[in-house]
Amino acid sequence: MTIFIRFIIISTALMFFTFFYLYINDDKYYPGADFTTSNMPDFEIKDLYSKRVFSVKDLDGSYLINVWASWCITCRIEHSFLAKLESNNIPIIGLNYKDEKDDAINWITKFGDPYKYIIHDYKGELALDLGVTGAPETFLLNDGKIIVHYRGEVNDMIWNDVFKPIIMKENIFNAN
Amino acid sequence: MLIEIAHFLSILSTGLFFICFIFSFFLNSKDIFIINLVSRIYSHSFFIFLSSFFVYVWLAISDNFSVLYIAQHSNINLPVFYKISSIWSAHEGSMFLWIIFLTTWGAVYNLFTSNDQLLKARTLGVISITSVGFLLFLLLTSNPFETILPVPPENGADINPVLQDPLLAIHPPMLYMGYVGFVIAFGQAIAFLFEGKPEIKWEKQVRSWSLASWSFLTLGIALGSWWAYYELGWGGYWFWDPVENVALMPWLTATAFVHSLSASSKSSILRIWTLLLSILVFSLSLFGAFIVRSGIIDSVHSFANDPERGLYLLAFIGLLVMVSLLLFSFRFNLLLSNKKIASLSKESFISLNNIFFGTLIFSTMLGVLYPLIYEFIYNQKISVGAPFYNAIFVPITLIACIFLYFSIDSKWQQSLNIKSLFQPLLISLTFSATIVILAFFQFSITNLWTLASLLIGSIIIMRYMIVIYFYFVYRKFTNIFSVIAHCGLGLLIISIALNDNLSSERALNIKINETEIYKDHQITLKNLRMVPGPNFDSVKADFLIENPNGKTFTLTPEKRKYFARGQVTTETAIHASFLKDIYLTIGDQLDDGSWIVNIQFNIFIRWIWFSAMMMVVAGLLLAHSLSRSRP
Repeated sequence: MTIFIRFIIISTALMFFTFFYLYINDDKYYPGADFTTSNMPDFEIKDLYSKRVFSVKDLDGSYLINVWASWCITCRIEHSFLAKLESNNIPIIGLNYKDEKDDAINWITKFGDPYKYIIHDYKGELALDLGVTGAPETFLLNDGKIIVHYRGEVNDMIWNDVFKPIIMKENIFNAN
Repeated sequence: MLIEIAHFLSILSTGLFFICFIFSFFLNSKDIFIINLVSRIYSHSFFIFLSSFFVYVWLAISDNFSVLYIAQHSNINLPVFYKISSIWSAHEGSMFLWIIFLTTWGAVYNLFTSNDQLLKARTLGVISITSVGFLLFLLLTSNPFETILPVPPENGADINPVLQDPLLAIHPPMLYMGYVGFVIAFGQAIAFLFEGKPEIKWEKQVRSWSLASWSFLTLGIALGSWWAYYELGWGGYWFWDPVENVALMPWLTATAFVHSLSASSKSSILRIWTLLLSILVFSLSLFGAFIVRSGIIDSVHSFANDPERGLYLLAFIGLLVMVSLLLFSFRFNLLLSNKKIASLSKESFISLNNIFFGTLIFSTMLGVLYPLIYEFIYNQKISVGAPFYNAIFVPITLIACIFLYFSIDSKWQQSLNIKSLFQPLLISLTFSATIVILAFFQFSITNLWTLASLLIGSIIIMRYMIVIYFYFVYRKFTNIFSVIAHCGLGLLIISIALNDNLSSERALNIKINETEIYKDHQITLKNLRMVPGPNFDSVKADFLIENPNGKTFTLTPEKRKYFARGQVTTETAIHASFLKDIYLTIGDQLDDGSWIVNIQFNIFIRWIWFSAMMMVVAGLLLAHSLSRSRP
């Protein structure tokens, strides 16, 4: 009996730590940027207010795409930074991710709308094609091509370190 | 120069803490000379480390932006209070504070413990090695003393506006105090296991320390919940955010631990449980630190991070926890006793309590781990949210409370006298049934869970009222602090249930001098004005609200724009009264000039924190009274 208990305790703890060891050794779970250029996947999805349908043709320009959801608390923190970007005339398209329509609209009315428009990706189809792993995530599009994929909260520091240099280099958004 | 001095002092204290650990475990520490030496080295090392921290605080107050961390998180325009609190607004500084608290508990323990010198020296040794582990983590992977040389920036980058809040400045320190306070119970448990002598009564000595830490932990969690309520603008007080859960697990374990402790410090029963729980509480506190600081989980609470930190913490925490569990699993059979627990005795209820809490801890752990494991295997993100936790917590807590009710009369090592139960049961059941019937017919509450919570919450409170009556009238012995804490629990259950059931909200479009009506309240937007703040500009909206009784009051929600970061935040306006909060936030202006305003009626929400405060006060008072009565 004692040996059995000993075995249970030690093996549970070992499994626990081994799992976390394997988990943190995998880069993809970390906030971070991916700079490979890829095409925007095809999609046809309604906007949040069901007024019109968006497709890949509407994204033929330079935008930020911000993945958010009303259930995501980090998005709430990130939101005030997006408002600042909007006031600097940077066009942001919201990709509302796996969210109830009412909750999302409620959220936007409460905290303000920094987005040009919001795509309501209820089932997460577009997000799946984009390789979204959660919210918030932010994509930078140049001429309809994805050039940055950032996982995690975008704030001043991330903006200056990750996005600013590439925006200057590619001369997007009339960079200044 | 000051920066280098502070840095050097931290390094010096790391070395001294390590020496302290070596002396306490590897020298012939039965020698009284060595034991005294350990105690002295510890105090010196602590003061060196503390002065390093004070120098750092001074650097922050004096706007020394050559320090990278201060340049990134503070700002000349900040009030002094926030200059100090900016130290723990991000990873490096908060880790610094965490270790300060860890070593402070040890220093206070060192000062006030005089019995059983060997156990004390070993406990200090455990605290020292834990501090060394975290200090190395701080200095090697997240150095707060890193400098920007030769030219420091003229101004700092400011702290996140959402964090510029007096409550948030004290929420992390309180929480850290609670987390690391369990190092004393943990240290004593390890020292006890290392010695392997069952006759040492370590449990009695850690009761007040553990209760004090438990109170701080409760306070920290309650403050965080209150902050989220008024700052995040959702009107909620608990979000089942992964990091909240990571704080909840040590709290649940600690609660089970302090109960178990009271049993095993009175008789030698449940000692194995207590030992295991003491290791688990501290391990889960460390696990929380790992989760938050490795960046595994995206959350408001996570810090900017890199995998190296996660790996270091995992290695250190894994080593510490594995060694303790190995020690435990090879020594626990020393404590096996042949004593049977009498059925329906206080001990039997406390073991039941351990099982209930164990279930809750396990479920919370499952909710935290499941998405990670799922993502690891299927490469897809899923989130476990409130429905899962509610489905588990509500029934289990209510059932546990029924057992709590019957345990009130139980005695140590004696079976419960069933006959004596009837009279109090009749009185309290009548009282709570009346409340439920009133709620059902008068306030038309029909939700079964709400009614059940009302019944159980009020029956507990009423039962304790009877206990208090006997205490004052017949001088019947009672642990009055435990009564207060458990009444707090009853009140907490009632408040959560009523808040969940009766609260409501609506979004309104409103123009200046227009009036809208919501639930018999007239809401008029009187005025909009621009007001400059110390480090932000704000738009304030004055609302005049008239309640059904004709009473009027103004509420002024605002939107702020911070200079340094240009971020926009919404500040809620809350009118708090005895039973309900009226909670206003302003959103955007629409094209027709009207404003979006969100109004919420949050019923009984104050009582949630009030009941948490009852527990905190009761815990602190009990800790105090135990520490005085100790031989």
